[in-house]
Amino acid sequence: MNKITDELYERFKKNLESVNGTCVRTSKENLGKAVAGIFKEAGIPDTCIVETPLMEEGGVINALEEAGIKVYTDHIRLNAETVKGGVSESQYGIADLGTMVQARDVIDERIVSTMSEYYIGILRGSTIVPEYDDMFDILAELPEMPNFVGFVTGPSRTADIECVSTVGVHGPLQMSVVVVDDE
Amino acid sequence: MSSEALKQEIRAALDNTTLARTLGTFCKTYPAKREKAYEGVDFEATRNKISEVKRYAADHVDEMIAEFTKNCEARGGHVIVAKSKDEAMEKIRALVKEKNVKTIVKSKSMASEELHFNKVLTEDGVLVQETDLGEFIIALEGNTPVHMVMPALHLNKEEVADLFTDYTKVKNAPIIAEEVKTARKVMREKFCTADMGVSGANVAVAETGTVFTMSNEGNGRMVGALPKIHLYIFGIEKFVKSISDARWIFKALPRNGTGQRIASYVSMYTGATEVVTDKENDTKQKKEFYAVILDEPGRRSILEEPEFRQVFECIRCGACLDVCPAFALVGGHVYGSKVYTGGIGIMLTHFLIDEGRASEIQSLCLQCGRCKEVCGGGLKITDMIRKIREKNAKEHPNAIHKFALDAVSDRKLFHSMLRIASVAQAPFTKGQPMIRHLPMFLSGLTEGRSFPNIAQVPLRDIFPTIEQDVPNPKGKIALFAGCLLDFVYTDLARDVVVDLNSIGYLVEMPLGQACCGCPASTMGDVDNARKEAEINIEGMEAEKYDYIVSACPSCTHQLRDYPTFFEEGTEMHKRATELADKTFDFCKLFYDLGGCEESGDGKAVKVTYHDSCHLCRSLRVTQEQRELLKNTKGVEFVEMEEHDNCCGFGGTYSVLYPDIATPILEKKIANIQATGADVVAVDCPGCMMQIRGGLDARGLDIKVKHTAEIIAEKRGLV
Repeated sequence: MNKITDELYERFKKNLESVNGTCVRTSKENLGKAVAGIFKEAGIPDTCIVETPLMEEGGVINALEEAGIKVYTDHIRLNAETVKGGVSESQYGIADLGTMVQARDVIDERIVSTMSEYYIGILRGSTIVPEYDDMFDILAELPEMPNFVGFVTGPSRTADIECVSTVGVHGPLQMSVVVVDDE
Repeated sequence: MSSEALKQEIRAALDNTTLARTLGTFCKTYPAKREKAYEGVDFEATRNKISEVKRYAADHVDEMIAEFTKNCEARGGHVIVAKSKDEAMEKIRALVKEKNVKTIVKSKSMASEELHFNKVLTEDGVLVQETDLGEFIIALEGNTPVHMVMPALHLNKEEVADLFTDYTKVKNAPIIAEEVKTARKVMREKFCTADMGVSGANVAVAETGTVFTMSNEGNGRMVGALPKIHLYIFGIEKFVKSISDARWIFKALPRNGTGQRIASYVSMYTGATEVVTDKENDTKQKKEFYAVILDEPGRRSILEEPEFRQVFECIRCGACLDVCPAFALVGGHVYGSKVYTGGIGIMLTHFLIDEGRASEIQSLCLQCGRCKEVCGGGLKITDMIRKIREKNAKEHPNAIHKFALDAVSDRKLFHSMLRIASVAQAPFTKGQPMIRHLPMFLSGLTEGRSFPNIAQVPLRDIFPTIEQDVPNPKGKIALFAGCLLDFVYTDLARDVVVDLNSIGYLVEMPLGQACCGCPASTMGDVDNARKEAEINIEGMEAEKYDYIVSACPSCTHQLRDYPTFFEEGTEMHKRATELADKTFDFCKLFYDLGGCEESGDGKAVKVTYHDSCHLCRSLRVTQEQRELLKNTKGVEFVEMEEHDNCCGFGGTYSVLYPDIATPILEKKIANIQATGADVVAVDCPGCMMQIRGGLDARGLDIKVKHTAEIIAEKRGLV
């Protein structure tokens, strides 16, 4: 796994920001702190988490709880109806679009990334590909399409009333991606 | 056809100030937004690929259906191939009943509209909820989409607030951000409790059994993530072969649709995905996944018609609506049917919804060709609309049009009518059109513009008196005058001659020529168009000349199209091809023959330029005339905004639909005024007549001149 270059990270960040998302980069050790910091600043009191080994290594749950944020790790479908935050890891990123790509069929991950008001997606830097076409090349070459693949680019939005672009409709109102440097 | 009912619809739409404001603003800002979204992406290459992959799927449609079915089912999905819309709806009703579905949440599906899905199931007692904000709003209003991508553009935030207040029984403020919050709140509960989710597909991939849905609001993801039963409805035109092929569509779809590089969500479902079946116990299992494929006769009939097969390459981006000057004014309630709107909407309506409606709305097309430029699938939209017009003209001939076009194609009759008109016309009164008895394309009672006089002496009588002093000519050029040069702008014809003389060419005017046939073609009268082509091929005798010049791009376009009227291999086809190959528009020919030397009287004049639809989009001449003008000493060249937008003339259009043509002309005039130019240069006498009339009626002292006139004047050739 190659560490993400500064150039590629900046490209990802710039493009995500251009669609009202935010982006931070961190080491694995500081992952928990980074996630907790975002929610703390946004005043998010509670969050659902679909934990992965990367999050475990990065101490995400601990850091959130230390920051006074209530964490839910099960009954996600039920809890997501009332809990404000959502955290999950995604499989790929596309720098050219600021896009995060979910490429596996884990319903809880889809729920937290869709139902939360503030969603944080975690990406390993090494999984960020430069271009949209690179991502399609990867998908096309997979031995089998996962049951679910989803591109997520920034928070939800609409322009359906008077063509005025408004952020946050049925999906998240805010969205951040935390890019974790691989070692 | 332009029925009185349609004209009333037009007037009502023009009176809707919200529609005028939102659609007007959107259409105005769309081209720049779109262009920015395409930075770094080769649009032409992308749409060529789209066309290629979609054509492949259309050519192998049975294979696509079988492959998709096999692969989707292998991954736990159920596929229903419906041979008619009724069958599709009956199968869906049965499924809904069998699964005891009481509530449904829907993300956008135009195919479901074709089935009257909401109406049928509501009558069965099922609660059907549209969740896309725009679709939700029009459902509350009881209306149909005004735009394929933005269905509720005709309503302002105050009207939306009222609809929401009625629905929620709580006062809603007319603040967009608050209204969006209301939608989120109302809909969230529906998503969480619905028994079934319904989606439409942007693309279906045969090789993997995958369906794609793109959305911004996140409702598509909710529909796919929460309910235990998920139903996809889509037509056989949505197939591509592979995941790799699907990429091309999502390169163009968001950029063309909304000027976004990508939408917030692109979701791909392959078979049955996981879902939470009991939230209290946190149990999960595979959802029940159904795909209903519409393989009904309307879609099959598109595939059977070679001239319309391209409709299968449409990606439903809506770009053809966004650039259409007529659509920008009246929207999709007028320019469309209950399901599909705009340029492509004519064909979709014709084949899938209602032929009668299609035959009415096709007449709203100006044939300006802007839609072809931006179409994500590279569809020849205007050409297909013309084919529908031709079909229509054949099936429902209009006696007046027919008489007019017959008269035009009878050279002697037409010429004598014009001569009579030139004598009979009353003294010219400003703003009062005075020509009432000419063939359609010259007669007109239009608001907001003055009409020119018919020349007292037609060009064919003046021509021999034009002195041509060309020692050692480099070649001989035949002038195709066209009706406007022959009978109205005879001075312009003289300028064309002296300009070409000045670079060493002799010009002749073959007298056997007649109307080019463009009016007949535009009105769908192929027989008369072919007749005129025959007359001109005989009359022009292209074999005798080096080139044929025309100072009217519509004529040039028509002449260059002549080979399409004759069967390949025939003598007429051969002659038509020779004529077509030798025919050029004035500015292009003059430039190519070395006319672009720097010269001119140096007297300062500010010039802006209006591109004629046929010149810039059919003939693709955009630079030559600008170079000629910029190289003229004294000319300060300034571009106007929307320089390639139609002026509203559109042949007979300004006569048929003055209510639409007039505001199009007004926009053009505002753009001209904004440049502060003294002169608007044009290359089309039709545009010249339209714009000159508009400026004149408004008392504006801005001259409209043909490029040939400016060259002749500034170089002191006249």
